Amino acid sequence: MNFKVEELLAIAPLILMVVMGCAILVAETFIKGRSRAGLAWLGVAGSLGTVALIVNQWALAAQPQSIFQGMLVVDRMSLLFDATFVISGIITILVSHDYMQEHGFEFGEFYPLVLFTVSGMMMVSHATHLLSLLIGIETMSIGAYVLTGCWRGNPRSTEGALKYYLMGAFATGFMVYGMALIYGSTGGALTYEGISAKIGAVGSEPIFLVGFYFILGALIFKVAAVPFHMWAPDAYEGAPSNVTGFMAAGVKAAAFAGLLRLMQSAFGGTQLAVDGSGWVEILSIVAMLTMILGNLAALRQENVKRMLAYSSVAHAGYVLVGFCALGLGLSGADSSVTFYLIAYTFTTLGSFAVVAWVGRRNDERLTVDSWAGLASERPGVALAMTIFLLSLGGVPPTAGFFGKFYLFRIAMGSDKLYPLVIVGVLSSVVSVYYYLRIVVAMYFQEPIGQRQAYASPASRVALLVAAFAVVALGVLPGTVIDWASGGGKAVVDAVAALAR
Amino acid sequence: MGLLGWITLLPLLGAILVMVVPREEEAIHRGLGLFASVATFLASLLILSGFDAATPGFQMKVDVPWVESLGIRFTLGIDGISLWLVMLTTFIIPLTLLFPQSIGLRNIRVREFTIAVLVLETGMLGAFLALDMFVFYVFWELMLVPMYFIIGIWGGERRLYASIKFVLYTLVGSLLMLAAILYMYMQAHELLVAQKAAGGEMMASLPVWTFSYEVFSHLSLPFLPQMLCFGAFALAFMIKVPLFPFHTWLPDAHVEAPTGGSVILAAVLLKFGAYGFLRFAMPMFPLATYQTAPLIAWLAVIGIIFGALMAYVQNDVKKLVAYSSVSHLGFVVIGLLTLNAQGIQGGLYQMLAHGISTGGLFLGVGILYDRRHSRKLEDFGGLWAKMPVFAVCFLVIVLASGGLPGLCGFVGEFLILLGTFNAKQGWTANGFPHDTMFWNPILMAALAATAVILAAMYLLMMYQKIMFGPLDKPENRADNMKDIHGREKFVFAVIVAAAVVMGVMPRPILSRTEASVNAFISSFTDRLKEATRDPEAGPHFYPPYYGDREVAAAQGGTAPVANAEVAR
Repeated sequence: MNFKVEELLAIAPLILMVVMGCAILVAETFIKGRSRAGLAWLGVAGSLGTVALIVNQWALAAQPQSIFQGMLVVDRMSLLFDATFVISGIITILVSHDYMQEHGFEFGEFYPLVLFTVSGMMMVSHATHLLSLLIGIETMSIGAYVLTGCWRGNPRSTEGALKYYLMGAFATGFMVYGMALIYGSTGGALTYEGISAKIGAVGSEPIFLVGFYFILGALIFKVAAVPFHMWAPDAYEGAPSNVTGFMAAGVKAAAFAGLLRLMQSAFGGTQLAVDGSGWVEILSIVAMLTMILGNLAALRQENVKRMLAYSSVAHAGYVLVGFCALGLGLSGADSSVTFYLIAYTFTTLGSFAVVAWVGRRNDERLTVDSWAGLASERPGVALAMTIFLLSLGGVPPTAGFFGKFYLFRIAMGSDKLYPLVIVGVLSSVVSVYYYLRIVVAMYFQEPIGQRQAYASPASRVALLVAAFAVVALGVLPGTVIDWASGGGKAVVDAVAALAR
Repeated sequence: MGLLGWITLLPLLGAILVMVVPREEEAIHRGLGLFASVATFLASLLILSGFDAATPGFQMKVDVPWVESLGIRFTLGIDGISLWLVMLTTFIIPLTLLFPQSIGLRNIRVREFTIAVLVLETGMLGAFLALDMFVFYVFWELMLVPMYFIIGIWGGERRLYASIKFVLYTLVGSLLMLAAILYMYMQAHELLVAQKAAGGEMMASLPVWTFSYEVFSHLSLPFLPQMLCFGAFALAFMIKVPLFPFHTWLPDAHVEAPTGGSVILAAVLLKFGAYGFLRFAMPMFPLATYQTAPLIAWLAVIGIIFGALMAYVQNDVKKLVAYSSVSHLGFVVIGLLTLNAQGIQGGLYQMLAHGISTGGLFLGVGILYDRRHSRKLEDFGGLWAKMPVFAVCFLVIVLASGGLPGLCGFVGEFLILLGTFNAKQGWTANGFPHDTMFWNPILMAALAATAVILAAMYLLMMYQKIMFGPLDKPENRADNMKDIHGREKFVFAVIVAAAVVMGVMPRPILSRTEASVNAFISSFTDRLKEATRDPEAGPHFYPPYYGDREVAAAQGGTAPVANAEVAR
């Protein structure tokens, strides 16, 4: 058991996140008075420090570095995800302080919880070992359960948290069971590299396949794809709006990031598909159903949060198209999934930030009709929301458009995926209809009564950051694509080199 | 960036400027918007003066890398086909912004309206100029959002329904087109990689990933994929034209849109349908075009007559004009499918003439609605006495729309009908007789010609009901039925002048389109010959591949590159 300081340095962003979380927990006990603004700023400062560390790591990570005996890897793809998660944490904190004050449930532990959840996500994106994946996912999920239920005065919040927790625990159980089966069938392999080496020998054994499908199913549950999406609308609707964005964007993106690495490194991309386990076929059916059902269900929602919840289900379907492409060994599939997830994260966070901001105490403005005339009340907020909605619907020149475009472009590489692309394209027409319903309410309908959202400079900053990111990713996607293309294959090679 | 880059981005810059001016300063918003659009128009005059009529290919190219890893380049270029459509766009937009009734009765949110119109202008110019399929698609979609807002915010009673219908119709078409673009992109990539490996000299300079229009238009697909891709492109364009039976969004959108929106929609936006056929669908899929030409031509004929009959029975002036658009644009499509210079040039000319005359008709409807708050024919009568200047201007526009010789509408319709009568010879002379019983250009031309008579009937009926007869309705005698004045008068004067000039002097316009149209016809028939030789051949490139320089080199004696027919 040799332990190197460089390995700690390599994972410094993750450590800083945890340390800051603990520090805020301690600081909370020293705070007098009611406002917890200081803690919020501490959380933002810590996250910004983490971003700085990530930027600092960037140059070093050109060469993927495997640390802690293959438990974690530090490469550009994981750093890119880290940065996205940390920024999603920052946006959440910025939106949350004023939101919780307005609705009267601010408490100091909220901010450390966000940081801990983010650190769990970061762990997931670095994981190259089934146990580190499990630890990351659980850290993230438990944080998310608590955040969902953090509005104790609101029964819906508690209900959502309970549902989310029960279903999540169930899924985790399956995941652990799957890991055990993999462990057994491969003769004790837990690192991705070890599993990948054994696939040739045991890849078609039933025990191995059952284990594989258990893990896959559990992760599909985490990303809320059909048929394991039932919990999502209730949990998303019940959670306080400031948390919903974080759950729908960050948590989902992290689960996908974990799945991406798992599929790419452990289950060897194409190898399993070639062996005839048929997971690409199964996943493409899942993706198709998710796109169709998610969008159709969203069509019928009157509640904005529920509508966005179903839309996030549908978006999971689009991302899964990228995974099918990955399974067929199409080059660029990983970077297209990464780009889509980054675009989706900012868009979703931004849209929920607007949802959180426009509501007042006892008047949450959750139905589509209650958004009537928002454009004349708050033109800036309405414009930002329009940008987010257009991005969700995939209209250029936004991040969402380019994400879909890039994803479909990769998927067009194999004629097996043509049906998926067609379904994806047509279902996004459907999605535009319900996204535009909100735009219609904001711009085309007269306001009902006079309402003002509370002043919140922090929310304004959050919206600006998100909207800027969405437009910038849409107009100049090249840089991020180059960043995202760095990961992938290189990692597999690096881990293999380490093993030799 | 080049002149074309600037002209595309100028309106957008104007929109950003308007956005940062505080919302109270309405006069500044109007002024800035007008300034930006007039500057764009002046810049387009520079393009016109620098345009070389003898060059058939693209001129003044702009080529800037955008997303290099995917081979997306910001490529723009202009030729005889897009030149006048660009001019039409830059000509109509300042008039729309200048016209006081553009926003409609609810004269609200001037700033947002100005921004929407300017963004729309950038979208339209970019889509006309784009030579990269991705760039084209982005601009094509960019047009959608501002138009949606223009209909939805400033529109009439049923604006919600009309705006959402407009968006969904357009999106269905354009997203399938995107799928087809991606399919061709992948096919072109495989082919380029294979040819590079084979070591073609011309190939060396090409990237393996590209959305370049040049590459796409030289890509020959096997029969089935070609039909499917053509279907995706053609659906998008047929919806936009709009061709019967995909026209139902148009009357709704036109009736609900504010005057400015209707003018832009009719004058420019609808042109993208026909332009798309000419620029993209026909050159890229010659075999599919050949196979489906009779069907599309008949749809156009049905649309011509159906639109005219529908226009005849309307009581709402705006709906009448909207259906007349369906009828007039059917002519354009037939013209394009004749595959002879008269027909295609006539089609192009008709696009411009329709832009001027129908734009003018919608402006007139805007005046009527502003004065009388009604669009029902039965509410009017005898306005000639109250509004003499308007009546004269409107008369010229109505006659231009009806195709009176000496005005703009006549030239296009005449050329199209002439081309259609000759269409059989046109295709046959090029080696492609249409043997089906459905292909009967003479009958088509005869049927289409009846619509010219119908057009005269419904337009003059409309004019008569509005302007002539006794001034017997008290509302029409009221003082608010003022004649046009000030800016209104100026806008109408410009439109009338354009209609007359285009009617008596078609030569300057036609001479600049001629070279490009002839080149289009010859390259189309060349490709069709190549494609019909073996319709089932795998994807390959048409000779002589690729671009103007290489064409010249091939003609100069070097052997054209053999088609590497790569099995998939």
